[in-house]
Amino acid sequence: MLAIEAVNLVKVFGSFKAVDGVTLKVEEGVIFGLLGPNGAGKSTTIRMILGLLKPTSGSIKVFGIDVEDDRSSVLKITGYMPQHFSLYEDLTVEENMRLYASLYGLNGRETEERILELLDEFMLKEFKGRLAGKLSGGMKQRLSLAVALLHRPRLLIVDEPTAGVDPPLRRYFWEKFRELKKRGVTILVTTHYMDEAENCDRIALMSKGKVAAEGSPLEIKRLAYGGDIIEMVVAGNPREVLKETAAKVLDFEENGSYSRVRLLVPDASEYLIPLTRELEAYNVKVVRAYPVSLSLEEAFIRLTTGDGVSS
Amino acid sequence: MMGALVALMIKDIKQLLRDPRSLLMVLLMPPAVMAMFVSGYGEERSEVPIIVVNLDEGAISWQLIELLRSSGSFKIVAYAPTMEAGIDLVRRGEAYAALIIPEGFSESVMKGYSTKIVTVLDAAYAMISELVWQAAVIMVQVFMKTASEMYGTFYIEVVRQTVYGPEVRSVDSFTSTILGVLLHLVPMSLIAVSISRERERKTFEQLIMAPVSGWQIVMGKFIAYALVTITDMVAVFGFAVYVLGVRVSGPPTVLILVSILLLLCSLSLGLLISAISRNQLQAYQAAIFFFIPSMLFSGFFMPVELLSPSTRAFGRVLPLYHFLRAFRNVQLRGWGFRDIVPECLSLLFETLIFLAAAIRLLKLRVD
Ligand SMILES: Nc1ncnc2c1ncn2[C@@H]1O[C@H](COP(=O)(O)OP(=O)(O)OP(=O)(O)O)[C@@H](O)[C@H]1O
Ligand SMILES: [Mg+2]
Repeated sequence: MLAIEAVNLVKVFGSFKAVDGVTLKVEEGVIFGLLGPNGAGKSTTIRMILGLLKPTSGSIKVFGIDVEDDRSSVLKITGYMPQHFSLYEDLTVEENMRLYASLYGLNGRETEERILELLDEFMLKEFKGRLAGKLSGGMKQRLSLAVALLHRPRLLIVDEPTAGVDPPLRRYFWEKFRELKKRGVTILVTTHYMDEAENCDRIALMSKGKVAAEGSPLEIKRLAYGGDIIEMVVAGNPREVLKETAAKVLDFEENGSYSRVRLLVPDASEYLIPLTRELEAYNVKVVRAYPVSLSLEEAFIRLTTGDGVSS
Repeated sequence: MMGALVALMIKDIKQLLRDPRSLLMVLLMPPAVMAMFVSGYGEERSEVPIIVVNLDEGAISWQLIELLRSSGSFKIVAYAPTMEAGIDLVRRGEAYAALIIPEGFSESVMKGYSTKIVTVLDAAYAMISELVWQAAVIMVQVFMKTASEMYGTFYIEVVRQTVYGPEVRSVDSFTSTILGVLLHLVPMSLIAVSISRERERKTFEQLIMAPVSGWQIVMGKFIAYALVTITDMVAVFGFAVYVLGVRVSGPPTVLILVSILLLLCSLSLGLLISAISRNQLQAYQAAIFFFIPSMLFSGFFMPVELLSPSTRAFGRVLPLYHFLRAFRNVQLRGWGFRDIVPECLSLLFETLIFLAAAIRLLKLRVD
């Protein structure tokens, strides 16, 4: 089942197209990352999915429910943590939680249990009497996530949950996300941290209001480079021989009696051994051969700047 | 359902009490509006409705009446046969004064005797009474001057009488005005910024992600603000009566009832403004903007009857109009609850209309 099915979303602000034909299909039970530079239209897309903004055109279904028709049913199963802290700064941590527990219709016992549980889980117990406005940035994020989880949503949408959060807490948040995923919760997350994005099952890369690329982190990297990269250290200078193979030479560096080459292949795991064999058949001695792990960051930059491979 | 409403209401009460700005507004608005009140007074006057009681049998009295009629200061709405009937019409609010021309008026003028004209003034409207009195004195003097050329010298004394007297101090007649400001502009502008503040602070975005409906948000704020401001209102009222010693002829409970109704109406109108405003500044300006015509055309300075017909029609739908009528009649004329039922119903009706419109127009979106 699709947790989110957004088809051809367009959002125009005045004469500016913030979102320009975005289609997203998020399978139930996955962690789906929405990446893209500032102003790409991530938050706007999320707001449309949640029915906070009316799309200029396009349709959205959450677990098969049309958001336009039956938003309240969608809200009951959806948790949202906005990009900017949006709880009441003049209410305390506990008051905010109690308010939202009532709004989500939790009964007395559930409220007590859930609040205790979440205060504990997000290390907020000792601050429960503090005004939310007086919390530090990381505490605010913790409270915000706790409130988003109060009613045990099936779909959690978090917009830059780790912005301004220290590394241990970032790690903790991602542990939570994986834990939730294990319990069957679908998560849509935006982030600017590429190490976090590696944790996603699928990624959509947005740029200028459009989806520039979509797939697993590995697929995204392949898309950015046109394949996988293999590095080899070989004896001699087999430049001419390499031209005969299926690999594309990206980089060639002669170093005494050895050469270091970087090759582009469609799939590293499939090509590594056959390629080694092929070279040896040409009497080129392969000293070392290994797939190069590419950074998502590099792929991201390639795909979103210049004229790249994006279209 | 109700749980969410109560939770929202409690939240709004807490926020209201923890927000020093809103409390400041409650304190600072009245003097600011008073300043507006003083500087804004400068409307052209139209004709004051009066009653004429002519007990004279001669023709000269009609010359005086003709002069009054053409003066531009008065509009004679009725001729009463007896003094009692004339005074009764003033008491019932049909006119602001009765001019009584005595028996034998024409004869006294022709014979050069001295005679008198009695003006019976409605002291509940001190300002208008003063106006009528002055205009009557002037017109009688004009009459004496022209008539003496024909009939020789004579003298007319203008005698002043009041109903609801003996006298109304200015603080008494100002009470309704000040309460009008306190119960209309202050709560209206206070609540007008409430929803737009949530929009500006982004809390609205989180709030409408919970399964709440528009009516819960609107009614939660309405009840919260009503509870907080009613307390404030009763304090102001008590201050006026017990500290300033404002005169109250009718039952105080009825005055409090009318005041609460205006307060609720103001809050609902403020909520309507809030529901359709994009930001706090806009909402605040809209509240002030609405208050200005309210002040001009509701009988705040001058009775609505004296306005041009189209503005009069507009004036009669203003909440402040119903309030001022009801309040003044109870406070100064000693009317009871029964007499002001129409005004109370109007206020209640408008409150419901404004609330319904606010709920209808509140968009649960962030754009
Ligand atoms: N309410 C609005 N009115 C006008 N323009 C808007 C509005 N909201 C967003 N935009 C514009 O739409 C574009 C996309 O904004 P959006 O917030 O979706 O970007 P984003 O991808 O979330 O960026 P970031 O990573 O900085 O959060 C931006 O150019 C922004 O200025
Ligand atoms: Mg954003």
